[in-house]
Amino acid sequence: MASAILRFAVRSGAWAWALCAPLSAQTGDPDALVIVTGQQATMPIPTCMEGPQNLTANSDVADQLFLRLAELPPDLVTTDERRFVPVLARSWTRRDSLTLAFDLDPRARWHNGQPVTAGDVVFTFDRARNPKVAPKLAGLLRHLVSVAAEGERRVVMRFDRVYAEQFYDATFNVAPIPSGLVPADAGPCPAVNPVGSGPFRWVRSVPGQFVELAADPGFFLGAPKIRRLFFRTAADPEARVNLLLSGEADATDNIPSPPLSNVERVEEAPGLRVVPLASPVLGYLLFNQRDRTDSTKPHPILGDRNVRRAIALALDRRRMVQSVFGRYGEVPYGPASRLLWIQRSAPAAAGQDTAEARRLLSKSGWVTRNEDGVLTRDGRPLALSLNYPLTSEARKQIALQVQEQLRGVGIQIDLQRLEGPVWAERRSRGNFDIDFSSATQDPTPSGLTQSWSCSGGTNVAHYCDPGVDSLLGRAITSPPGSAAGRLWQEVLRRIEADQPAVPMYSIAYVYAVSRRFRKAPLRAESSWLRVREWSR
Amino acid sequence: MDLTDLPGTLAAGVWRKPSGRAALVTLGIIAALAIAGPPFLPDPAAQPDVIGQASLPPGPGHPFGTDQLSRDVLARVVGGARISLAVAGLAVLVSITIGAGVGLVAGYLGGVVDATLMRFVDAALAIPRLFILLLLLAVWDHIPLAALIVILGTTGWFGTSRLVRGEVLRLRHQDFVTGAEALGARRARVMFRHLFPNTLGPLLVAATLGVGDVILLEAGLSFLGLGIQPPRPSWGGMIFDAKSVLVTAPWTSIFPGLAIAATVLAVNLLGDALSGAVDPRQS
Amino acid sequence: MTRWLVVRGLQALLTFALVAVLLFFLMRLAPGDPLSRLSGEQQISPREIEHLRAQYGLDQPVWRQFVTWVASVGRGDLGDSIEYGRPVTSLIAERLPATMLLGGTVLLINFSLGLWLGVVQAVRRGTPLDRWLTAASLAGYALPSFWLGLVLAWLMAVLLRLLPAGGLQNPLLSPDAPMWVRGLDVAAHLVLPATTLVIVSIASTMRYQRRAMLEVLPLPYIVAARAKGLPERLVLRRHAWRNALFPVLTLAGLWLPILATGSVFVESVFAWPGLGSLAAGAVGTRDYPLLMGTALLVSALIVLGGLLADIAYGLLDPRIRWT
Repeated sequence: MASAILRFAVRSGAWAWALCAPLSAQTGDPDALVIVTGQQATMPIPTCMEGPQNLTANSDVADQLFLRLAELPPDLVTTDERRFVPVLARSWTRRDSLTLAFDLDPRARWHNGQPVTAGDVVFTFDRARNPKVAPKLAGLLRHLVSVAAEGERRVVMRFDRVYAEQFYDATFNVAPIPSGLVPADAGPCPAVNPVGSGPFRWVRSVPGQFVELAADPGFFLGAPKIRRLFFRTAADPEARVNLLLSGEADATDNIPSPPLSNVERVEEAPGLRVVPLASPVLGYLLFNQRDRTDSTKPHPILGDRNVRRAIALALDRRRMVQSVFGRYGEVPYGPASRLLWIQRSAPAAAGQDTAEARRLLSKSGWVTRNEDGVLTRDGRPLALSLNYPLTSEARKQIALQVQEQLRGVGIQIDLQRLEGPVWAERRSRGNFDIDFSSATQDPTPSGLTQSWSCSGGTNVAHYCDPGVDSLLGRAITSPPGSAAGRLWQEVLRRIEADQPAVPMYSIAYVYAVSRRFRKAPLRAESSWLRVREWSR
Repeated sequence: MDLTDLPGTLAAGVWRKPSGRAALVTLGIIAALAIAGPPFLPDPAAQPDVIGQASLPPGPGHPFGTDQLSRDVLARVVGGARISLAVAGLAVLVSITIGAGVGLVAGYLGGVVDATLMRFVDAALAIPRLFILLLLLAVWDHIPLAALIVILGTTGWFGTSRLVRGEVLRLRHQDFVTGAEALGARRARVMFRHLFPNTLGPLLVAATLGVGDVILLEAGLSFLGLGIQPPRPSWGGMIFDAKSVLVTAPWTSIFPGLAIAATVLAVNLLGDALSGAVDPRQS
Repeated sequence: MTRWLVVRGLQALLTFALVAVLLFFLMRLAPGDPLSRLSGEQQISPREIEHLRAQYGLDQPVWRQFVTWVASVGRGDLGDSIEYGRPVTSLIAERLPATMLLGGTVLLINFSLGLWLGVVQAVRRGTPLDRWLTAASLAGYALPSFWLGLVLAWLMAVLLRLLPAGGLQNPLLSPDAPMWVRGLDVAAHLVLPATTLVIVSIASTMRYQRRAMLEVLPLPYIVAARAKGLPERLVLRRHAWRNALFPVLTLAGLWLPILATGSVFVESVFAWPGLGSLAAGAVGTRDYPLLMGTALLVSALIVLGGLLADIAYGLLDPRIRWT
């Protein structure tokens, strides 16, 4: 009997294998590129990628289908319009400090053969600037007051104030779409075939599995060498690594760490190349400035700068980051990820100094320890909760180390691992002591006002320093050059000194690309933008 | 069959069988380690060196190796035993008791009682446990261990009640039941003296398989911020934590996995031996 | 019987409606809403959130949302998913075939193989074969499905490259390829997830069947059938089996929803485009319309599973009369 069962198992296994073997011969295509990512594009059309549709996956596909007027220079400096790269616009001129004129490339065609006109650009920006259609874009474009066509090929944009990033705002946030592709007015976008002007055309989407694109042979900047482009979906990071290692995918964006072993496995695979790229991700411990039960009162423990500073100094952040991200992570100075150009000239973050941390704590009256070794003041223990979402493995591992290291100086941390929406709900309501936040920052430093100015829209911790506010205002409006750079450094320094948060990590996304592709440039601000230049 | 002298006979019956003996010895060893082990082992929460000593394979100093945060896996397996076993044992006891009671009553009384109870079970099965738990999370910040056991127990009996009811439906028209009814036995007596012992078969399987389920389920709950919070270890939690290093640091998940497998196997052998002791014709 | 079916059907409908109402309110009482995730990870201001909230009708009082929802369900419209911006019915329709393929394969193998092995174990109780099957099946049962899935994927796909590591089909295979080639492709992708699920779930079928057989085999009518000189095979098939099927039938009823839910862990480990991962994602994003749609489908199957089990009891044992 036992042998019968064994025979049955072996026989069915052999059959299955024999049947499947001939398949591999059917599917080889050297000019196809399969990129595996965590999510699938649902609505890859500029001005439709709002709210829940605002996914990296949608932008990744939209980057292939739709061209921007101009692209960021390789060093990602957002303030110098002379260094932007012309794409859909062949050239541009500045009429005055408030007005920009773009000339469209006359060779540009939509995938249906129609020429790209100034009217299309105006149609797109009318949608983008309408807060009912695209609330996020409208917010980003709030200083752009008019977009008008002059003839077939010229678009004139007017701003309501002078600031350094006018050109960035006009080109980076939205790529033109053909007029009439989606209705001009409000309401969710209907499911339509995205007809664009980019190097790749839309072929099909197989739900839950992949999106297929094909090279546009008539693309006016040169037909891509990659003929078929697939964005495959695998939500689970281990599944993505398996697909990569088994050769079923050629490239992936961001192999997640921890565990570092994922990256190490890919590094060791002979057929794959690992490419680190600066990411817009910033991880930080956010201190609540207000009492979690009554937001009119200051936080009983964290309202004190000494305690905030002591927590920062008690942590060996470099060690934590190294243990979790290896050489792909670093400790940032101030709340800016390494994608932001202002982080590049910032000094190194403070290291661990437990003696100073203890001194600061005792200065604020946290002297005696209770039987658990926790510091107390007036009989109350120095105990704080630390919230983080359960989906983030990195934050979990760092939080566990924070808990252990703060135990050493007498601070008790109660870890609260929370389901995503519960965590977000508590965060936005200010119901936390310390929140382990992670921000995906835009490439421009002006986004910092949202979180760190008194009236900032996402300032959930109620941090308020009028000095920081005025510095931010001056930095944003000052013309490009070293003065602006110095002002931004001053912003970082001032925030760092007051410690409304402890910046924990800024990471590189670790991309992997098959060595089959000799030339495979990648971009930090929009990963696959340059697939049109890839070749074997 | 009489239930009064059950415990003594059962214990003797179980011990008489080699598989029963093996099961008792295994569970005894695990329990002894869980109770007496921790003082001899490192602190399961201590992170001696997160870079130099992380993910060490088993070797001297760390017989089961270390995890990603350089914590001793042996200390965590032993430390997790207490919580995992206590939660699993108690929660299964609660759910089996309720499930058996509801199944007996519904199957035997039938009619409106059956319809009401079983439609309730349908509804309860259809509402994802997750939502009930999320609601609790909205009300309380922390959920104590005892409440966790109650939650797991009171939301885990729906399937069992259907199983018991199915058995009762099969049995209630058989001669020993109709005979007892003809002799004027009260309904409670018929249910508990005559029907209940005959549903022990599926009930024991449900209970013994349930132990494994609950150990993993507890881990699922602690992910929602309910249940056991870090740095306290539990077996299920350890396996989930080690998911991503399965290939590169297998010892972090294999040892807690072996602990769960040994427990599940021992509990199942115990169940087999128990039913053999209840009904000697089977062996 | 007909009357019973009608009454039972009405009960089922009532339960179903009750569950739907309960779910609707439970979902909205749970902390977080479809837009809270945005404020957590993206730099999005409360004003933008307000705009979006109005766009999706989430600014209305819950009772009014309920009325709107009931009215549209009455028209057969489950609404548009917030996360995908598309009708829930078409999202479910896209994902259902993959889930049913995996779930159906697993249920079929589980119950045919599991029943057989359970009977084998009972007939040869106490032998080394029985003991080994017990140990092996329970070892499989104690493994978390994602653990086994990852090991199998690593072994069979990465190390040996025998089978695909994930997905339902090879994207490079043209949709115009012959039917049998595409079928083979899907079958190859099915092997690992189905094997994983069978290994982790077959123990319960085997255990229930073994135990039920052990209880039936010593009963007088089996002994009598044997005494009449009937061949063992016939004794087992005609007499013992029938009576030992009850627990497994209940189990089958309880497992019916697997056809629609699949297994979230296995779907994600193998990037299987099923409904399970869609529904799990919808919980994480509080995508109310999508959640309600999938929950309704699952509830319907749960109610149906109970109903089918009851009908099967009656067919198996004519003494059970439904009134």
